[in-house]
Amino acid sequence: MTEAVFRETAAEPRTQAVPLSHLSLELGHLYMEDFEAGPGHLRRHFERVRPWAEAARATAAAAGGKRPRISTCFLIDDYFTRFSAPAEVVPMLLEEAERAGLVVDYLARESGCAVAGKVPVAEAVAGRIVEEPPPGSYGLRPPATQTGWLANGERSPVARAPQAMKKATAWQQPKETAARRHSVFLDVELWDDGPDGHRTWSCPFLAAVWQLARLGLLRNEGEAVLVPQPHTASGFPDDWDELPPLLRLNPRADPFAAYRTCSVLPSRFLPVEHAVRVILDQIEVDPGALAQTAERSARENAAVPDSVADRISYVFYAGQ
Amino acid sequence: MLVFAASDKGGTGRSVTSANLAYQRALAGDHVAYVDFDFGSPTAAAVFDVPGAMRGTEERGLHSYLEGTVTEPARIDVWRQTEHPQLRARPNQAGRLVLLPGDAGGGEFAIGEDALERCVDLLLRLHGEFDLIVVDLSAGRSYAVDMALAATAHPRMRYVPFRWLVFHRWTRQHVIAAAGLVHTDHGIIKGGVERGHDEEALRGAVRFVRAAVPDPDSPLWSQGSPAQAAWMQSCDEALRRLAAEHRIGDSVVLGVVPLEPILQWREQLITEEDVLSTQIANKETLEALEEIARRLTDDDCWGRP
Amino acid sequence: MTPGDMRPGGTTPGETQPPVVLACGEVRTCLLPALQALDSRAAAQLLGLRADERVLLSERPNLYGRSPDTLTGVDCPLPSANGARIRAVGTVAARASLTEGRVLQSSAYFRVPASGPDHRRPWGHYLVRPATVEPFGKLPYEAVAQGLLNGGRHGELDVGLIADGLLTRLLRHPLLDHRPPLKSRPTRLRWVALPAERDEGPSIERFTLAEDELRTVRLRVPAGTPAGEIAGLCDDLALHDWLLTTVVRILDGIRLGAAEPSARPRPRTGESHPAVVTALRPAVDHLLHLWMPRARVAHGLAPLWEALEDRPGFTRQWRTLVQRIRDQLALHAIPHREAELIP
Repeated sequence: MTEAVFRETAAEPRTQAVPLSHLSLELGHLYMEDFEAGPGHLRRHFERVRPWAEAARATAAAAGGKRPRISTCFLIDDYFTRFSAPAEVVPMLLEEAERAGLVVDYLARESGCAVAGKVPVAEAVAGRIVEEPPPGSYGLRPPATQTGWLANGERSPVARAPQAMKKATAWQQPKETAARRHSVFLDVELWDDGPDGHRTWSCPFLAAVWQLARLGLLRNEGEAVLVPQPHTASGFPDDWDELPPLLRLNPRADPFAAYRTCSVLPSRFLPVEHAVRVILDQIEVDPGALAQTAERSARENAAVPDSVADRISYVFYAGQ
Repeated sequence: MLVFAASDKGGTGRSVTSANLAYQRALAGDHVAYVDFDFGSPTAAAVFDVPGAMRGTEERGLHSYLEGTVTEPARIDVWRQTEHPQLRARPNQAGRLVLLPGDAGGGEFAIGEDALERCVDLLLRLHGEFDLIVVDLSAGRSYAVDMALAATAHPRMRYVPFRWLVFHRWTRQHVIAAAGLVHTDHGIIKGGVERGHDEEALRGAVRFVRAAVPDPDSPLWSQGSPAQAAWMQSCDEALRRLAAEHRIGDSVVLGVVPLEPILQWREQLITEEDVLSTQIANKETLEALEEIARRLTDDDCWGRP
Repeated sequence: MTPGDMRPGGTTPGETQPPVVLACGEVRTCLLPALQALDSRAAAQLLGLRADERVLLSERPNLYGRSPDTLTGVDCPLPSANGARIRAVGTVAARASLTEGRVLQSSAYFRVPASGPDHRRPWGHYLVRPATVEPFGKLPYEAVAQGLLNGGRHGELDVGLIADGLLTRLLRHPLLDHRPPLKSRPTRLRWVALPAERDEGPSIERFTLAEDELRTVRLRVPAGTPAGEIAGLCDDLALHDWLLTTVVRILDGIRLGAAEPSARPRPRTGESHPAVVTALRPAVDHLLHLWMPRARVAHGLAPLWEALEDRPGFTRQWRTLVQRIRDQLALHAIPHREAELIP
């Protein structure tokens, strides 16, 4: 289709560009148990986050030269458990952040990482998994593939009934593909299916989608997904479903998506975020989006690493 | 069309006879695939006389395919790769004759969900390519029989026509055993219904082939004493009654293969050459095979008896 | 952006990449196993391999749909004609296409740069270079190209397996009823493309009908030709070669005599004219309108067709076959008007 005279729009791929900051700084996740622990719990969280947030800003400024564009975000779980209501939770959250001297630019709902509006984001990302091949992968789909799981290496072979009069294979150790001599093997559950056929995405999988959203790398048929909606109403609704999946609370905020991300989280999130890395390492993101980010970051002297997983960073602070 | 060849016991000549049927249909111009699901003793290569072509199929046969270690099972073009001198010259009007062998040295194995899906993939691909697919199944209530029943009940196979041939020898024990394989609680019919088949339709798709049947009128026995002839006649009648009592009487018999040394001992295809020039095979045997081959697709011979 | 561009993608400034010296692929072509051809909506459903990527649909000059590319990771030796053992790591792209809702193709391909580091890099490095397989050390590309065409040993990179895996996945789609209107054989076309001499245009060095179902093609292409475009050309070659092969076999079939009843409709010699019509009718209904060389071949590669048109003369053979079918039908239609009643 290089002839330019006749064109069919349905026959040509295109990728919408999204505005990008230098850094997307995540100020925290809120789960039901955090909420139930009361405003004091949130206050202590934000107090701990503040110095790290400042450090992240300073680092970005030092690297970028000019004033870096930095946006902050906060994620509320409304996917695994529904609690309270936006009208109650959000004002409290914002008040505690402000008390610690932090501004939440963007507020996201975790269920938006599963389905945003009508777009099945999580399913689309799952369709982009390209498993890291262990040595010896020559094109045959490995029989050991486990639907709904993703590992960072080779699993122990499943004990299968051998052919009659043949020996069953002995146990073999699992092996991390990128291991340095010894393995740290991790097998991540991506989803489970209920008896009614309803699929529940796992927390690490949705967190990986969340990272891709913050990196501006999600597209649906070339269109951007999880586009921030301005907050125009005076208050917040009583139902989570009435809150946009991604809400811009600060009208003067820098763009939501960014070349890199940093998340400040309590250390209990460490296993989840390890899993996020294993997932991100095996996702082929939209090549158009990838090219846009690479080109623009290079032009701004803030070139991103090739590997998407290397664009995300964390600060884990001690405690709950 | 799929034709499954089953038998309750070994020694019925199931493999060699079904291979002959495949050969006859190919001679008549059909494109024919012969699929060796006799997992415990994959020997079809010997019947088609393709030992050379079997080298290198140890890890590429149907065992490996169903277990998922290869995605395309080995295929042997019989006309081209046989070492049988009379087969090598593919007759002008013949269709293709392709053997899908098991792994040399493969054994019986349990079939899981994945293997069933792969089996359906294979049968559907063959269905798109061949007019007739003969599937030779391990004897008895085997995993292979189980898989054939499950595969033909699979939604993806809903438009693929299939028929069953049950081979048995013409003896008391074999008649009872063959009836048992089809009609008892864990037999083909009940097992098929459990897997989603319609009982009437399945029953209408099963026919029997009596193998190694001595023909009292044959010149072979004409030298015997009158007492011997009378005894043979009465045995034959008794067996017919027994068969009818066990619901495998004449109305569900597709054909009768005479007792034939060349099938018993050489276990190979019977060619016109064997009948006409070397005369090591009987004309009646060849005609019986031709007739059964013809009836495989003659709808008048199938359906509810 | 086309994945599989011959220029390695994801380059960071200042980092120079070795040039791509080899592209390779395999195409599987078969009749869609369904009674009715699929319309564009159904084609989009069948080919929608990813929830977030559109199926490319095109209606001019014929109905055509193409799935998004999917990737498969590999880490194994490359086949080579001289026995050299070259380990390579990367991804192979695969996609499926449907022409006129009737002919299904799955096509897998990759490109190889002239050299790579002698160790495996983190997986993320390979994922941002879709359809690129990087060798350890320097690539003896002539030997590897020949090795790929010959087919490797067990355990060496097998691009055909990847094409076949995608085909198997598509054939399991519930849209397909597995009632093909005619019996036909799938074909495989394996191709390699090596760089053309400086300033030379693209050329077909060899097009071989190897075994019954295997064809091999050896190409020379100018540096920088996207691998996806080469794969597109080879899909087109494979489609037309399959059409020729299939129609030739149908015509072969009508010369055959057969003991009735047959498992497929086929006439006996010298009788029953409608049976000839029955055998030829599916070709008319489902195949004859599919001939359209170069419909979607990239501009720069389209001249390659001319070599095949010159010798052996693909379109010439096709026209002869079509004429034979029409002649047969015309002959049988005159005394037997009832032929038209055959479904």
